[in-house]
This record gives sequence, structure tokens and C-alpha cells, in this order.
Amino acid sequence: MPVAVGPYGQTQPSCFDRVKMGFMMGFAVGMAAGAMFGTFSCLRIGMRGRELMGGVGKTMMQSGGTFGTFMAIGMGIRC
Amino acid sequence: MAVFSFYSGLRLSNRHRKRSRRRTYVSGEDRRNKMEEYAREPCPWRIVDDCGGAFTMGAIGGGIFQAVKGFRNAPSGMSHRMKGSLTAIKTRAPQLGGSFAVWGGLFSMIDCGLVKVRGKEDPWNSITSGAMTGAILAARNGPVAMVGSAAMGGILLALIEGAGILLTRFASTQFPTGPQFAEEPAPAPIPTSPFGDYRQYQ
Repeated sequence: MPVAVGPYGQTQPSCFDRVKMGFMMGFAVGMAAGAMFGTFSCLRIGMRGRELMGGVGKTMMQSGGTFGTFMAIGMGIRC
Repeated sequence: MAVFSFYSGLRLSNRHRKRSRRRTYVSGEDRRNKMEEYAREPCPWRIVDDCGGAFTMGAIGGGIFQAVKGFRNAPSGMSHRMKGSLTAIKTRAPQLGGSFAVWGGLFSMIDCGLVKVRGKEDPWNSITSGAMTGAILAARNGPVAMVGSAAMGGILLALIEGAGILLTRFASTQFPTGPQFAEEPAPAPIPTSPFGDYRQYQ
């Protein structure tokens, strides 16, 4: 990261901003992945209907949180 | 980290997760502000870089999650809980870091191989190498597991690459008045040259 100041004298997004962005992005990716894989696994263990919705939602939130945390760390260690 | 406990096994999903984060900041961030940022490492060194980055990420993240888990699972009493938390971190966080590092190292090894073979760098490299990494690491579990794990790796990598592409696009169009993103369209043409075949989003 050689330059901290852009061509127009603007500062680059701060470290915290980037960590936050990493978390958001990880959360989005994790939600999408959790929606796919969670649907499969919930269907496999025999959930249907309303129960299925709850199970998928839970998996989505969990995997979003995990992904987001790791992605935020990944951003953090590089900035 | 009871996260994916009810699908196909924690380790497998752990590996996918690890790769994901490493990969994402590389692709999204880097291409967006390549001027200010370091570019990705040139190829042979990228392997070392990714491997170490993945280890660090896994160790820190594993430390956080294992601290909570050890705290909750320990017998009651503050000193027990602290001790249980510390024990869990000491035993599990290096393991998680190691498996992240394996994933990251193998992933970027395949990535670099594909760069050499195909002569270009695009999202398909990452997707393919994610799938191949998943397959190789599941090789001892049999062909069916290999296919499942490869599909998982490929899908995850595709999601992450897609997120990076979307981020790039939004960063250049979404904030035309924002002071710090207004400049982003200017650096944008520069990433185009190394990724010349990258027409999808620029």
C-alpha cells in the first residue's frame, strides 16, 4: 500500500471502512451460499413448508455471519 | 462454530469458507483501487502470500470463534470458563489456520498453473481452481465426495467472484458524487490492461 492519498488529494477509505466493507461483502456471499447449501441440507433432513423456511433462514444467517467475520479479518490483516 | 454442522461436515465447509475470504478481498478490493493498492503478487510468490494470509486469517478467526465456544462449553465458574476458552483456542485455532493454509496454498498453486497454461487471468481461473482444490482435498473420500466438494468450491468461488465484480461495478457507478469514490472510474481503465480478456464488467 504505497500511497495513502489519491490523485485528487482525497484519502483512501480508512482501514475500518475496508473492514466494514469486507464484512458486508462476506455477509452477502455467505447469505447466498447459505441459501443454496442450506436449502439442500434442510430438504435432506426432511424439513418442509414453514419449518424449511426457518431452517434455511437460520443457515443463511449463520453462514453469513461466519463468512462476514472471516472476510473482515482478511481485510483487516492486509490493511 | 456450529455453523454448518448439519451439512456435509465441518471441515469441508471450513475450507470453503477460508478460501472465500482470502479470495474476495483480493479480487474486489484490488481491482477497484489498483493504483493505491498493491496489485496481486506476481505468480510464484502469490502462493506464499495466499498461504500465509490464509493461515493468519484462519488462526485469528478460529481464535475468535473458539474463544466463544470454549467459554460456553466449559463448566460454570469464571476461572473454568476462561481456562476452557484458552484451551479451546490453543488446540483448535492452529488447526483451523492450518486447514485454511492448505486450502489457500493449493488454491493459488492451481490458480498460478492455470494462469500459465491459459495465458490469461480471469474469474474462470479462480472458479476452476476452487473446484479443483475442493476435489483434490476430498480425494481420499472417494469420487462422490470429490464431485460434491468440487461443486461446492466452484459455486462458492463463483459467488465470490460475482460479488467482486458487482462491487467493482457499483463502486464505479453508484457513487458519482461521493468524494472518495468519484475517482474510482479513473483508476478503472488501468486494471483493464492486465486483465485484458475481462470484458464482462468493464
